[in-house]
Amino acid sequence: MAQARTSQWIASLAFLAIAIAAPFVLPNNMSQLVDLMVFILIALSWDMLGGQMGYNSFGNILFFGIGMYLVASTQVWMGGYSLAEYNSAKGGNLESFVVTAPVYVTSLIIGLAAAAVLNYFVGLFVGSQLLQTRGHYFAVGTLGLGVAAGEFAGTMDVLGGGSGMNFLQPPEGVNLTMLLYWLGLGTVMLFIAFLIWLHRTRFGFVMNAIRDNEDKAEAMGLPTNKVKSVSWAVAAVFTAIAGGLYGAGKNFIDPTEVAFSLPTIGVWMLLMPLMGGKGTLWGPILGAVLFQLFKEFFWTYLFGWQRVALGLLIVIIVVFFPDGVMGGINALRERLFGKAKSAGESGEAA
Amino acid sequence: MKHMLLAGAVTLASTAFALGASAQTITLGAAVSQSGKYSTNGMHTINGYNLAIELINARGGVKVGDTTYKLAIKYYDDESTPARGAELAERLIKQDGIKFLLGPYSSGLTKAIAPVTEKYGVPMVEANGASRSLFTNGYKYLFAVLSTSEQYLSSAVSLAAEMAKKEGRDPSSVRIAAAFENDPFSQDVRAGVLDDAKSFGMKVVIDDSLPKNLSDMTPTMTKVKALKPDLFVVSGHSKGAATATRQMAEQNVYVPMVAMTHCDSADIVGKFGKAAEGILCAAQWAPSLTYQDDLFGTAADFAKKFKEKYGYAPPYQAAESAAAVEVFTKAFERAGSLDQAKVRDALAATDMQTFYGNIKFDKNGKNIAKPMVLYQVQNGELVVVAPTKWAQAKVVFPRKRN
Repeated sequence: MAQARTSQWIASLAFLAIAIAAPFVLPNNMSQLVDLMVFILIALSWDMLGGQMGYNSFGNILFFGIGMYLVASTQVWMGGYSLAEYNSAKGGNLESFVVTAPVYVTSLIIGLAAAAVLNYFVGLFVGSQLLQTRGHYFAVGTLGLGVAAGEFAGTMDVLGGGSGMNFLQPPEGVNLTMLLYWLGLGTVMLFIAFLIWLHRTRFGFVMNAIRDNEDKAEAMGLPTNKVKSVSWAVAAVFTAIAGGLYGAGKNFIDPTEVAFSLPTIGVWMLLMPLMGGKGTLWGPILGAVLFQLFKEFFWTYLFGWQRVALGLLIVIIVVFFPDGVMGGINALRERLFGKAKSAGESGEAA
Repeated sequence: MKHMLLAGAVTLASTAFALGASAQTITLGAAVSQSGKYSTNGMHTINGYNLAIELINARGGVKVGDTTYKLAIKYYDDESTPARGAELAERLIKQDGIKFLLGPYSSGLTKAIAPVTEKYGVPMVEANGASRSLFTNGYKYLFAVLSTSEQYLSSAVSLAAEMAKKEGRDPSSVRIAAAFENDPFSQDVRAGVLDDAKSFGMKVVIDDSLPKNLSDMTPTMTKVKALKPDLFVVSGHSKGAATATRQMAEQNVYVPMVAMTHCDSADIVGKFGKAAEGILCAAQWAPSLTYQDDLFGTAADFAKKFKEKYGYAPPYQAAESAAAVEVFTKAFERAGSLDQAKVRDALAATDMQTFYGNIKFDKNGKNIAKPMVLYQVQNGELVVVAPTKWAQAKVVFPRKRN
């Protein structure tokens, strides 16, 4: 077991090295790299419930959107402007809402922190209500969350309503995509370290026990309800940070199409773990990388058919690789070298 | 073998040479919706762009300084989502090396893309982002050939006031029912209507916000039926126009005056026939207007060329898109250079007439030289009824009951 953990740390370092090199190798693809960090965060967060605990959530987009609005609002507020006044201009008059570079950067970071903290409690609350249901009922129950939140945000004039909300313009001297990339990478590394640790704690084992047989776990006196809500709350924290980063990068929030966009981000966040292999540490990460590569590739070379290609890819993965790429790799290794010694689903390093 | 290699090398070299020769092309970039809820209007936009490019290239191209360039456009599909639009603008600029952008379809997408073009100093001429707030940001690289959205339905409100006076009623007695999609464009149109209604002292009895991608507005129809307003205004892009027209007929809702946006691009006459009779439509442009230029000829000539090529009458979205390309070409010629800053200055100095209307930008890049027109569906035809200068017929009021 100790050996497995060591190899995970080595893999993390390798990932970190590649990620540090990426901006220098691909300086013209920075916004895609920022998106990749966002995707890794939402994929790993989704996997905490969907993969480790067996609860398939369509509702994580809720935290994503709240995080986005919160970061945008914090920046406006810390810049010394009234949110209502800022949004009553409907994304206009940006020239009269300016901030200095230090204020921009600190307000972005504080906004992300605030989004993390607030969404922990949102996750806890929503979880305590919704996680009483199981299986399909849970999945369907969470479907409504993002839709409701999007419609609600569309009626809130203080947040710009249906006209959406612009982020403050980054002042001169702030390289926004670089800033977002390093913040994103930092959060991803923190999350990976946290997950490596978590999967070896009692808490982590209870998560897996819930997935394998919740009734038995409950009968054993394990605090299943608490573990479920806290897991979702932690997932909410990282999803919210991802939302803040994504929004700042896109510069414009539309309530239903950017913030609480179930058909795009809301579905992608569960596709990525499925592609890579859910219930593993590296599966969702690998899935996010593959997804981003395929997406960009399809959008460029299969113009007009990109959605069809993406749909086909999903079907192929679900039908032929139900355990994702990581599942395929593990199966291949078992065939070549025999069954792995260490048990447990939170698979070894790739 | 050696010979073959040599031959191969020669072929390669000559291809490279040929490529070099045909590289005298200015490639404009555009992320336009080809899927998702704006796909119909996105198609009109692309057709407008392409027709303009085709005509310009057929005439030999654009003369910039001493060199003559052909025009081309690199398209991406933004799928009607703002996040994707911003990404693609960045990609066009950073990865594809595009130096000049044409606008996307819709205000929301333009809002998402404008900060990107502004950041990189890339001039963008757009034809389909009408939201007022786009032009209060002091953007230096954004130019729009169309009238801003608060002007769309205000002529309908004044028309209602006029009709009330004719009937011997006070304009303030007019009761308005309003249904607007909850998106940047329609909310701006709404703001214009509410302002105008206020100035006449009219009462807005229904003020509904419609969901995006709307295909059902029964709740609004039920209210309209019960409250019997004098004027019913709807704005929700093409889907909104189609849904409102269809459901008014289906549910037997009668209002003496109905005004909406996007009825020509939604083709309500072709799709719903008699049900569309009497509806007023706000439009940026009409083929019967008397504007003209040396590229397309008159507005009617443009309509003819467009119909020959694409098989349908051009909605104004196509016309304004073609005009945007025309404005760009003229700016290239006047700048005499492909330097982005110089082209930007040339764009800012634009003062010309096109088949689409007069174009002169204020310091925020919006066109201040062109009014909106109001159509009415009369006997299955779209006829201009306001402003009076271009009116082809008198407005029919009240509209006939079906």
